[in-house]
Amino acid sequence: MVDTFQHLLAGLTAAMSLQNLSFALIGCILGTLIGVLPGLGPAAGTAILIPLTFKLDPTGALIMLSAIYYGAMYGGTITSVLINVPGEAASVITCFDGYQMAKQGRGGTALGIAAIGSFIGGIVATIALIVVAPPLARLALSFGPPEFFALMLVGLCLITGLAGQSLLTGLVMAVLGLLIAMVGIDPVRGAPRFTLGIPSLYDGVGFIPVVMGLFGVAEILLTVEAPYREVIKTKLTSLLPSRAEWRRSLGAIARGTGIGFFLGLIPGVGAIIPTFVAYVVEKRVSKTPEKFGQGAIEGVAAPETANNAYANAAMIPLLTLGIPSSPTIAVLMGAFIINGLTPGPFLFKERPDLVWAVIASFMIGNVMLLILNLPFVGLWARLLRLPYQYVCVGTLLFCVIGAYSLQQSVFDIGVMIVFGIIGYALRKIDLPIAPLVLGLILGPFIEKSLRTSLEMSGGDFSIFFTRPLCLVLLLVAIAVLVGSLLRLPPPEVRKSSA
Amino acid sequence: MMSRIVTVAIGTALALAATIGDAGAQAFPNRPVQLMVAYPAGGSTDIAGRIVAAIAEKSLGQPIVVVNKGGAGGQVGWTELVRQKPDGYYIGFINLPATNTVILDPDRKAIFTEKDFTPIINQVLDPGIIWVRADSPFKTLQDLFDGAKKSPNTIRAATTGILSDDHLAILMAEEAAPGAIFRIVHLEGGAAQLKEIMAGNIDVAFDNVGGVVRRIASGEVRALAVMDTERSKFLPDVATTKELGYPTILSNSTRGIAGPKGMPEPVLGKLREVLKKAMDDPEHVNKLETQGLGLKIMVGEEYAKYFADTHERAKKYTEWARSRSHR
Repeated sequence: MVDTFQHLLAGLTAAMSLQNLSFALIGCILGTLIGVLPGLGPAAGTAILIPLTFKLDPTGALIMLSAIYYGAMYGGTITSVLINVPGEAASVITCFDGYQMAKQGRGGTALGIAAIGSFIGGIVATIALIVVAPPLARLALSFGPPEFFALMLVGLCLITGLAGQSLLTGLVMAVLGLLIAMVGIDPVRGAPRFTLGIPSLYDGVGFIPVVMGLFGVAEILLTVEAPYREVIKTKLTSLLPSRAEWRRSLGAIARGTGIGFFLGLIPGVGAIIPTFVAYVVEKRVSKTPEKFGQGAIEGVAAPETANNAYANAAMIPLLTLGIPSSPTIAVLMGAFIINGLTPGPFLFKERPDLVWAVIASFMIGNVMLLILNLPFVGLWARLLRLPYQYVCVGTLLFCVIGAYSLQQSVFDIGVMIVFGIIGYALRKIDLPIAPLVLGLILGPFIEKSLRTSLEMSGGDFSIFFTRPLCLVLLLVAIAVLVGSLLRLPPPEVRKSSA
Repeated sequence: MMSRIVTVAIGTALALAATIGDAGAQAFPNRPVQLMVAYPAGGSTDIAGRIVAAIAEKSLGQPIVVVNKGGAGGQVGWTELVRQKPDGYYIGFINLPATNTVILDPDRKAIFTEKDFTPIINQVLDPGIIWVRADSPFKTLQDLFDGAKKSPNTIRAATTGILSDDHLAILMAEEAAPGAIFRIVHLEGGAAQLKEIMAGNIDVAFDNVGGVVRRIASGEVRALAVMDTERSKFLPDVATTKELGYPTILSNSTRGIAGPKGMPEPVLGKLREVLKKAMDDPEHVNKLETQGLGLKIMVGEEYAKYFADTHERAKKYTEWARSRSHR
C-alpha cells in the first residue's frame, strides 16, 4: 500500500509536468469536440488521432489519448441535452430527461450536474483503480459468455418492466428492437438476414443513425407541427443545481458511480449498458418515478456519472490483464503497442513510471474537464435562446453530417430519416421508445453470447444452469419480470415514461 | 508596358500548356487518393494502413485519406471497393484469405468474385499460431492432437470469426491429425480469445503471431506451434508445424492493397512504385515490427498469383467448413 502511494506520487509528479499537462488539456478539448459531433464516436475519434501522437514520447501520447477518450464521453452529453441528439452512444439515455430539462429552461442545470457527476464518477473510479484493481479484475473474468447472456437479459427485463403504460407495450417494443438488431450478417454462421440484398444492410442497421432519427429528427418533426413554440429561456444564473436538486442528485451520483465502476470491470459490456442500468435503477429506487422522462435531474445525473465511472474503470482490465473491454479501449491498446508497450500484468512491473503517470493523469484530466466544462455550460445554454426555426435547421444539418460521417455512407442518412418518421409515429401513438432502443443495443450482444455459450457446450442448454453466477443472474431476470407484473403502479403514473 | 503584357500572356500560355501536357501524360494523381480499410478504425489493418498512408503520401504528392468501411467481416468494404471507378483514386485493403472465403461461401451472396480486384501490393503476412494458457495440460502440439483424438469434440478451440484463416486452420489440423475433432467456438477477434482463454472458457486458440508475440515472451501464454514452413523472426524458439511433422497445416493472414478491376497501367505503375517505396521505408518497417507484424512485400504479378493460389487453397476448406454439422 505504501508502495502504491509512492508510485502514485511519482506518477503525479510526472503527469504534472508542463508538457504532460498540456497534452492532457489538448486531449480534453479534442475529446469534447469528438463527443459533440454525432457519428464520430470515441473509438473512431481516438483512432483517427493516433497518428498525431506518433511523434510524442509514450507517456505523453497515452496521456493525450486517454484524455481524448474521457473528454469524448462527456462531450456527447451536450448535444443530448440541447437538441435531443446524442453525440455518442453513451449519451442516448441522457436525452430522456436532459432534453426535457432544457425545454423547461433547466438546460444549464442539466449540463452542470452532468459535469459534476462525471467528475465524481471519474475520480472515484480512478481511486478504486489504484486501490483494488488487480483482484477485482480477476473476479470479473469469471463473466464468460453464459453469464454475459444472463446479465443482458436482466438489463432487458429491467427496462421493459419499467417503461411504457403496460408490461405488454414495453415487451412489444423491446422485441421490435431485437428484430431490428437481427438485420445483417449472422454473427456466428455468417449468413445474411433480412438484408433485401442491399449491401449496406449487411452490417445491420446502424445504431447511431437510428437513435439520431428516433430522438433528434422525431423531435424536429414534432416541434415543426407547432411552429410558434416559445423560445426556451434558460437563466444563466441557474447553472448550479438548487439545494433540492442537489439532495436528489447525490444518491443518483453515488449509485451511478458504483454501477459504472462494476460494469467497467467486465470486459465487453461497452459504454452504453452502464448508462441504461443506472437510469433504470434510479427510476426504481425513486419515490417519484413518474417524474422520469419529464425532466428528472436524477435521470441525468445517474447515467452521466455512470458513463464516466465506466470509462475510467474500463482501464482496469486493460492495465491489469491486457484485455480491452470496449472498442475505444482496444484503440488505446493499439496506441500502447505502437509505442512498444504491451498492456498487462507485466507492464506494471516493467514500466511502473509510465503506468502510474497515466493513472495520475486520469485524475488530472477529470479535474481539467470539470474546469473546462463548467464555464462553457453557460455558453452552450445560450444556444437555447435562439428561435427554434433556426435551431431546427441547424439540428437537422448536424444530424445529416453526423449520420454520414459515421461510415461515410449516404445510406445511413436514409436510415436516420426513416427512423425519424418512425419515432414521430411512435410518439404520436404513445408507445415507449426506450425498450426499442435497448433491444436494438442488446440484441447483438444477447445473440452472440447465447450462441457462443452453446458452441462452448456443444449445443447443451444446461450450461446456463450449471454455472452458479449465471443461474443467479437468470433468477434475477425472472424476479424482475414477475416483480414488475405484480407491482404495476397506476396507469397515469406509468404514462410518464419516455 | 505592351511587352510586359505579352510576356505575361506567353508565360501563362506556356504554364497552361505544361499543365495540360502533364494532364495527358501523367495526371495521376491530381486529387486525394482514398484508401479503404474494410474494418473499423483502430484494428491492426487500420493502424498499419494509416502508417503506410502517412509515409506514401509524401512521395505521391497528394494526400492519402484512410476511409473505414467496417462491417460484415470485411464484406461491406470490399463491396464498396469493387463498385468504384478503376481510376486509382479509390483503392483499399484486401485481407486474404478472409476476402476469399467471403467470395467462396455462397451464403454470403457477395456481389464480387476474385476477378473483380486488381491486386497492387501486399504489405503484411502474419503467420498462424496455436497457443494455450501457460498452465494448460497441453505442453506440445502432439499433446493437443492426442487429447482431441482421445475425447473428440470436447476441447474448445477458438477462432477469430467464422471462415477466418483461424477457422480454416482448425480444419487443416483435423485433416492432418485424423480422428482429432475440436469443438469450434467462433469469437470476435483476438481480444475475446485472450479473455476467454484466461477465464478458462476456451482451451486452445488458433490465432496469428502478431497478436500474441509479447504475451508469449512474457510467459502468460504458451505457443504450441507456428503454422508456417519457417520460424517466425519474432518467435525464434517456437517450432513450426512443418518441423513437428504436420507440413499441411499452413495458415496465415495477409493484408495488401488492391483496386477495382480494369485499372490502367500508368496509374497502377505509379501506385506500385509509391507504395513499395513507402513500405521499404525504415520508419514503416520499425512501426510494424514493434507490433509483431511481419512484412511480406509482393508487387503486381507476384501478388496476383498469391491471391489466386490462396483462393484455390481456401476453396476446399470453405466447402468442408460448410459441410460440418456444427461449424
